[in-house]
Amino acid sequence: MVRLEYIKKEYEKTRQMPGKWYLTSCRYKFNITRFQPFLSALKEKRLIGLKCRSCNTVSFPPKLVCGKCLTRPDQWVSLRETGIVATFTANYMKDETTGEANAFPVIAVRQDGADTTYLTQLNPKVKFEDVYVGMPVKIKWKDNTEGNLNDIDYYDCIDDPTQKMDSLTK
Amino acid sequence: MDKVGIVGYYQVQPSLNLNMGRYEMIFNTVRGALDSVGLKRKDVTSVVSATNDYYDGRTISNCFTVEAGGAYLKDESKVEMDGAYAVYYGLLRALSGHHKLVLVWGGSMPSCFPYSSSTLLSTDPTFERPLEIINDLTAGGLQMRAYMNKFDVPAEDIAQVAVKNHKNAAKNTSSLPESRMPDISTETVLNSDVLSSPVTELMYSQPCDAAACILLAPEQQALKIRDDPVWITGVGYSQETYYLGDRDLSRSQSMQDAAQMAFRMAGVKDAKKEIDVAELYEHFSHEELIFAEALGFCDPGQGPSLSTEISGGIPINPSGGGMSGNAPCATGIIRLIEAIKQITGEAKGYQVKDVQRAIASGQNGFCAQTNMLFVLEGGSK
Repeated sequence: MVRLEYIKKEYEKTRQMPGKWYLTSCRYKFNITRFQPFLSALKEKRLIGLKCRSCNTVSFPPKLVCGKCLTRPDQWVSLRETGIVATFTANYMKDETTGEANAFPVIAVRQDGADTTYLTQLNPKVKFEDVYVGMPVKIKWKDNTEGNLNDIDYYDCIDDPTQKMDSLTK
Repeated sequence: MDKVGIVGYYQVQPSLNLNMGRYEMIFNTVRGALDSVGLKRKDVTSVVSATNDYYDGRTISNCFTVEAGGAYLKDESKVEMDGAYAVYYGLLRALSGHHKLVLVWGGSMPSCFPYSSSTLLSTDPTFERPLEIINDLTAGGLQMRAYMNKFDVPAEDIAQVAVKNHKNAAKNTSSLPESRMPDISTETVLNSDVLSSPVTELMYSQPCDAAACILLAPEQQALKIRDDPVWITGVGYSQETYYLGDRDLSRSQSMQDAAQMAFRMAGVKDAKKEIDVAELYEHFSHEELIFAEALGFCDPGQGPSLSTEISGGIPINPSGGGMSGNAPCATGIIRLIEAIKQITGEAKGYQVKDVQRAIASGQNGFCAQTNMLFVLEGGSK
């Protein structure tokens, strides 16, 4: 009888935990202070990359650590808004009204002035069949920039000078 | 390096929906490997397993495989990568001199979880995941396009690799039944469903349920167990950057470095002449060409001109390779088993003539971020 009394004793503090946990609900910490120049630049519709002082590699999107040199790159360099398509593939999304699967280009852009590529989306109006490696593209900013990577709405294609030259020679 | 012998192996028949539980599958694999050489569980001194918490749906997934994996009261630990990496750690344990028999197993059941969705969780949470555009399939599409464009390789040449591997899989009785296609043509491959342009369904190694196990023993112990063990004489391992945009996708620097390391260890000077057969774990058909170039079988961009059939100059994947069924966490071990079969002459129907030295590879990550290469040799000593 003594034991039962012990169990029934009211505890002042208990611990609660949810019975379910969704895998994608994981949070990731990120050093926003070191990234602040990049995010501020995005808000001003400018692009900057991080240059490693040891190997001179300019990374865009900027990397906090240079894997080759095991150093912290700290030299911000300005990049142009233009770049070229390094490689591409397609995502297929189902149109809910028609049920058709449409191809949306997924591209890796090498920003002019950077050595690495950025995986992103092309203007959804551009047909997948028209994309090619080496295609010049330019950033399309969102109207209201907030200072994060989503400020880049998508990449838009621009006139390709090499293609024009081809047509002139023909 | 002192030699380590592979004394026994076993592989569960791959299936798209295996009619048994994970526990049973692992038990069958481990028991099968021990029975293949008439050993008992008490002979095993160390166990290394390869599983994945996400694929298992439970954290520290090896805690539930203790009994089935033969690890009860043994020093078991887990590798959360491809099985080839578990073999590497098993090899180190055997070389340490503290263990007489190391059991290595790996396996998973993609019929129980969405494989391509689970790969979303290996993308970069800062740059890739918010866009929700990258998974293993789109990464493969980017890689194939980069390779095709860099070296002007037509899609037909890459489809040809898929054709060869599906035809080889038809001769292999331990391949995934759905992958056996003796009458396949390049048109069939190119006209199959597009997964992520230009990758089509038949260029992709289909995830399937399977598990595989091998037994490793140091030299003297291996010769006590059997007269003709297959020796691991070289091993190499390297990895590239995590973010896809930082890499040149048209080549594989990590495979090149791994091959250099393994070949130096095994004393191989000219890979093309001294390697008799290669079993490569390719996730997509084009990866086989990229690997062949990285291994030094040919110059960059010349992969499609190699003669890689079973009777060819340098046979690659006579068993069908990754196309013959890709069991996450087990494929690296299955490639090793197929290379062993070629050396011991057990590969009935797809045997390459006079195999003395074979290589087998394992990979992990998007677009083969990390690569592991083993050099295997036959002969009693």
